[in-house]
Amino acid sequence: AAETTWDMPVPYGDTNFHTQNVVQFADDIKSATGGELAITVHSNGSLFKHPDIKNAVRNGLAQIGEVLGSRLSNEDPVFGLDSIPFLATSYDDAKKLYDASRDEIAAKLDAQGLVLLYSVPWPPQGIYTKKEIKTVDDLKGLKMRAYNAATEKLAQLAGAIPTQVEVPDLPTAFSTGRVEAMITSPSTGANSQVWDYLSHYSDAQAWLPRNMVFVNKAAFEALPEEQQQAVRDAAAAAEARGWEASKKETEDKTQELKDNGITVTAPSPELRDGLAAFGETMTEEWAASAGESGQAILDAYKQ
Amino acid sequence: MRRILDRVYDLSEWLAMASLCAIAALVFAQVAGRVVDRVIGLFGIAPYGFLVPSLAEIAGYLLVAASFLALAGSLRAGEQIRVSLVLARLPDSARRVIETIVLVLAAALAVFFFAYCVRMVLDSHRFNEVSYGIIPIQLWIPQAAMATGVGVFALALLDDLVTILRGGSASYMATGDGHAEEHL
Amino acid sequence: MDLLVLALCLGLGLLMLLATGLWVALGLMAVGIAAILIKVSVPAGAVMATTVWGAINSWDLAALPMFIWMGEILFRTRLAEDMFAGLAPWMRRLPGRLVHVNILGCAIFAAVSGSSAATTATIGRMSLPELEKRGYDERMAIGSLAGSGTLGLLIPPSLILIVYGAATEQSIARLFIAGVVPGIMLAGLFMGYTIVWALLNRDKMPEADERVPYLERLWQTRRLFPVIALIAGVIGSIYAGFASPTEAAVVGVVLALGLAFATGTLTRRTFLEALRGASRTSAMIILILAGAAVLTAAMGYTGIPRALAGFIAEQQFSPYALLAALTVFFIVLGCFLDGISIVVLTASIILPMVEAAGLDIIWFGIYLVLVVEMSQITPPVGFNLFVIQGLTGYDILKVARMTLPFFCLMIVAVVLIVVFPELALWLPQTMLAR
Ligand code: NA
Ligand code: NA
Repeated sequence: AAETTWDMPVPYGDTNFHTQNVVQFADDIKSATGGELAITVHSNGSLFKHPDIKNAVRNGLAQIGEVLGSRLSNEDPVFGLDSIPFLATSYDDAKKLYDASRDEIAAKLDAQGLVLLYSVPWPPQGIYTKKEIKTVDDLKGLKMRAYNAATEKLAQLAGAIPTQVEVPDLPTAFSTGRVEAMITSPSTGANSQVWDYLSHYSDAQAWLPRNMVFVNKAAFEALPEEQQQAVRDAAAAAEARGWEASKKETEDKTQELKDNGITVTAPSPELRDGLAAFGETMTEEWAASAGESGQAILDAYKQ
Repeated sequence: MRRILDRVYDLSEWLAMASLCAIAALVFAQVAGRVVDRVIGLFGIAPYGFLVPSLAEIAGYLLVAASFLALAGSLRAGEQIRVSLVLARLPDSARRVIETIVLVLAAALAVFFFAYCVRMVLDSHRFNEVSYGIIPIQLWIPQAAMATGVGVFALALLDDLVTILRGGSASYMATGDGHAEEHL
Repeated sequence: MDLLVLALCLGLGLLMLLATGLWVALGLMAVGIAAILIKVSVPAGAVMATTVWGAINSWDLAALPMFIWMGEILFRTRLAEDMFAGLAPWMRRLPGRLVHVNILGCAIFAAVSGSSAATTATIGRMSLPELEKRGYDERMAIGSLAGSGTLGLLIPPSLILIVYGAATEQSIARLFIAGVVPGIMLAGLFMGYTIVWALLNRDKMPEADERVPYLERLWQTRRLFPVIALIAGVIGSIYAGFASPTEAAVVGVVLALGLAFATGTLTRRTFLEALRGASRTSAMIILILAGAAVLTAAMGYTGIPRALAGFIAEQQFSPYALLAALTVFFIVLGCFLDGISIVVLTASIILPMVEAAGLDIIWFGIYLVLVVEMSQITPPVGFNLFVIQGLTGYDILKVARMTLPFFCLMIVAVVLIVVFPELALWLPQTMLAR
């Protein structure tokens, strides 16, 4: 049979653990199919930019791709489930939540001609500031980064001032006081060397957003059966490997933050309770927007 | 016909200029909001935290509208860049032939581009594509502005092609060799 | 088809299309589509629409029309004339005189603008007519503008450094700080060259202005206040925490409108002329960026830049030989692609090489910016050349010839930064030492 080549746009750079997992995934497929199916990984948005990757795969401009799932939360609430603050705050809970919602997510993607292959979480999101956050009251009046509806709502619940800052602008924005707090993973914090412009990290474990890898359904079904199976097997392996890599990433990058002089604190019980209350409000709102199928997912998760 | 076409180019350019003004107005409102917060802070009043939601995304979309709707106007003003050194050395008759071929190629390309822009708009509409930020914005709207701009651009190229085939001279030549420097 | 053959065919095809007088932007699109049709089986039209949409729908890019608009407004006020009149008495004894305003103007403007096209367009709009009016040598005025415009990318903020920082997961703050000293050094090289050129070509310099008594000179200097207020307002809005670098462009527009109003040059007519001029010029630059994006996507699909970079990787060069090879590689690629595309397309292959060679990643970022900055002034695809063709009507090839000495100075800067890596590394290590 003639060799099939696929292009795979991914949003993050080569040193990112998601990208490294994707590269391993592509290698696995290549060796499992004896080179019959070769995937070229285009890292760092070099073929398509992050906002365009899903459409590019849907239209067959690329056969397979990866995006941050919650980027699609304005399309359908189910994509935003993993990013509800303080709903699932550990790897075990995140896995439970993923298991409860996977079929629904896969169905939504299927309606667009996409097949969900696997999904891997980022490390738990924590709060970065220039001063220590002991209770939720310490967040009052702080300019907090908001980049979508959920983070805006969270800032509002905390009495903080939602502020829009683009990622590359963060160092300048923190240094000049346009923003005073942000919620992101220890990965992103360490990779962008936040110690150059802020000092405190509260390991609040707010949520574990997941990346999704999906394939164009037509391209996938055009493969011979044994190659489809090879892709599915490699995806299952990548998912298992990715969750472990994410845990290790959390440890390594949190350590890196400490090593570079960031004060890393576990949230106090008061802070934890205050944040959990915001989580409940936002979960209720999410359930209201996601309808019956959303409530069913939540029920399955809470069992 | 001439008057209708000129109206279309004009209208498109006005919309482009309005989009630029809208970017400036939205961004300035955001900056002014921060200044106001700082000033009332001096009087011990808590900041209001004025926010232009989805500012970065909206500005990007307005930029698309501004850029593509201005294409026809900038083409006809001779502002679009091309290399004219070689052409300038050819005799008039040869120059005319090449100019025609270039216009055929350019118009074909623009029509092709336009067709796929329209497909992108329909596709975004069909799959209900929305932006990611605080306000979910239907992507087909800014994409339709892009398609319209490319369509008017294609029209302007076809217009010039017809003009040159009829023995006239193309709009962008009016200001000299593709050069529209104003002398004030 | 062999990739090298395909690359050569595409390059030649582009040159031929451009020679016939096809618009640059459309030429880039045509070659990009041809590459996709030849080499890959994806719908080329859909790639074009998606790529162009993705490339132009950008917050960072929104600063470009705003800065150009600011330049158009200022061009219509007396501000540029005032600035040159205020500076002229002070520059009298410095060989090269007001040409230095071009260079320094770009260097200062680079501190707010992250793009070299915006820097060139805004400063050039004001300086070129003034220098022409005062009888300065055209080659020198245009060459120094095209060269200094590239400082927009080296002196922070810088769009290329942002892209490089994202690709390598390096701190953008560190990269920005690292660019400061090399940026000042490059401006210094340009000024040094201007001094030497002026001493050697006294006949080509305009008559020196009358010597102005000291007190009167001070009095003349009051004409600089509006410019200083404008610069302070735009830069200050960033550092006081009122505006992001993109937003500062709009602060510039508003302040320029305010100045025009204060000096009585703001009428309905000048307002609309400035707006229309900005709209047309930025549509020109952005359509070329769109064409470049299509070609970049085609390069991503065909893998030509990857393959070429991979070829360099196979040679197992020593660090200096590697840098020499990369410099040639980037200069050649830079003739056809824009700087940001080059960084994005080759980062995956180049960076492992660079790490293996033991080079510092921050340092390499600065080296990379310096080298790909040259792509802004090499024909046929060089954005500063396009901007200056738009300003003067001179063909890009003519502009490129005028810029050649400054291109050579940039090579000197690359050599200096390779020999003395501290030029890039000293400041970040000192400022951010923990
Ligand atoms: Na800059
Ligand atoms: Na170039």
